[in-house]
Amino acid sequence: MLTVSDVSIAFGGFQALRGVSMVARPGSIVGLVGPNGSGKSTLLNIVSGIYRPDAGKVRLNDKPLPLGRIEAVAARGIGRTFQVPRLAQRLTVLQNMLVGARDQPGERLFDLFLRPGRVAAMEADALARSVAILKRLGLVEKANDYAGNLSGGQQKLLTMGVLLMSDPQVLLLDEPAAGVNPVLIEQQVEFLRSLRDEGRAIVLIEHNMEMISNVCDVVYVLDAGAVIAEGTPAEIRDNAEVIQSYLGQPA
Amino acid sequence: MIDFAIYALTLVAIWSVMAISLNIQFGMTGLVNFGQILPFAIGAYAAAIGVQYDLPWWVGAVAGLVAAPIAGILVILPAGRSSQDYWALITLGAGEIFRLTMLNVPSIAGGADGVTVSRLPDRTLAAGLAVALCVVAYAVAQQIGNGPFGRMLRVIREDETLAATLGRSPMSFRMRVTVVSWAMAGVAGVLYAHVIGYVAPTSFLVTDTFLVWTAVILGGPGRNIGVVIGAAILILMSVSTRFLAEWSGLPSDLVANLRLAVFGLILVLMFLFRPAGLFPETKRVQNVDGL
Repeated sequence: MLTVSDVSIAFGGFQALRGVSMVARPGSIVGLVGPNGSGKSTLLNIVSGIYRPDAGKVRLNDKPLPLGRIEAVAARGIGRTFQVPRLAQRLTVLQNMLVGARDQPGERLFDLFLRPGRVAAMEADALARSVAILKRLGLVEKANDYAGNLSGGQQKLLTMGVLLMSDPQVLLLDEPAAGVNPVLIEQQVEFLRSLRDEGRAIVLIEHNMEMISNVCDVVYVLDAGAVIAEGTPAEIRDNAEVIQSYLGQPA
Repeated sequence: MIDFAIYALTLVAIWSVMAISLNIQFGMTGLVNFGQILPFAIGAYAAAIGVQYDLPWWVGAVAGLVAAPIAGILVILPAGRSSQDYWALITLGAGEIFRLTMLNVPSIAGGADGVTVSRLPDRTLAAGLAVALCVVAYAVAQQIGNGPFGRMLRVIREDETLAATLGRSPMSFRMRVTVVSWAMAGVAGVLYAHVIGYVAPTSFLVTDTFLVWTAVILGGPGRNIGVVIGAAILILMSVSTRFLAEWSGLPSDLVANLRLAVFGLILVLMFLFRPAGLFPETKRVQNVDGL
């Protein structure tokens, strides 16, 4: 279980988050919504170790996360995607996937030179897992294309696939549906549900309210760096404060 | 003529090792090392200082092999997490600091006059050693470049934050790359000293780093065979300038300087028209049928 408690951070004079708390349970999808600049991505940046908060704690299964150290947080089983997909553009789709696998002996020079058998075994295993995930994502025909040549939507799917190769407990997804065509969104929704059913916790930033209502178990609404509402998608839809701050005109 | 061919082959092999070393750093990892001549100079001076103290040749060789990667770690540590631009400046500065120290402190290795080093007795032996070193360096670079290690290096080259979000420490990979590639360049320097028989600060100028960079850009960053061919083209051009000078009747120092201008021109033309080099990095295609 991912627990964020009373997290605050300021950049210069700008208070980006003030006392934000959030819980993401295994096997659930948590939605983060709110206007642009409300602090959603900042929160993900803190949880994934990019920023160190001024105050507050983030715990995974009751153990504090090493905040401020991206690779250490990632090694604890927290994976994230970015609004603009981050991929090695000049590597193929398949190579990007292979990179996601954890604890590769082939990344240690000793094993690389002296234990070729171990390296090859790991590679074969990672290759089989990559292909299985690419099939789930409908990207297997693109396996040997450069990642940079995929469409924006396909790149977003691929970043999720790369993440899955590391078998994370928690997935932090920053606007996975933005700029993605409706058919692919449908595919993503299915995919998110299957990940949830595998017992992973998913935190999802999304402006597409339909997608939020469709997949989320709990929704947190942020405004000006604070949580102004939390509840099921149905509860949030009927909340007057949310309607005013985010959805625009009064209903 | 045969002697000259053997000498040219020796130089091509030594500078190919330098190009392979820079290729691992820049071509694969994206490390902009403008002080590539530094580990080479350290290797050469280790050999020279060893000879000065009447130690057997292999003591200097081992010292060069060990000192170059240690220097690499010392240089990379302050660079730490700072960006690539600083890495370029720090390496450039480190190379010059070493050269100027050798130039201005004659008690270490003769200052501007340099020192003589025992020359390898036989030119064929020198060529054989150089080619053997080049083959080893090539094999190491291929093993690194084609395996999971090299794959992660390329991810760091493309986007180091991505590598970090996948749980890897980019700094740890850079360290290991620096140790391996600087050791390679250090050994090349040791061999160079014993081939030329003389070590002086003028052999380790920024323009020599520039030569290695031109070889990598010309051949194809990220492609080991490409950068070897790049180094071969440039070194053969370089050594043939003396024939050009004889044939054209131009003063030989003018021709030597024109050579640098030609290297600069090659660099500019490559950046404009063929940024991936003569032999671009290949796409790795893996068969996924039946999986």
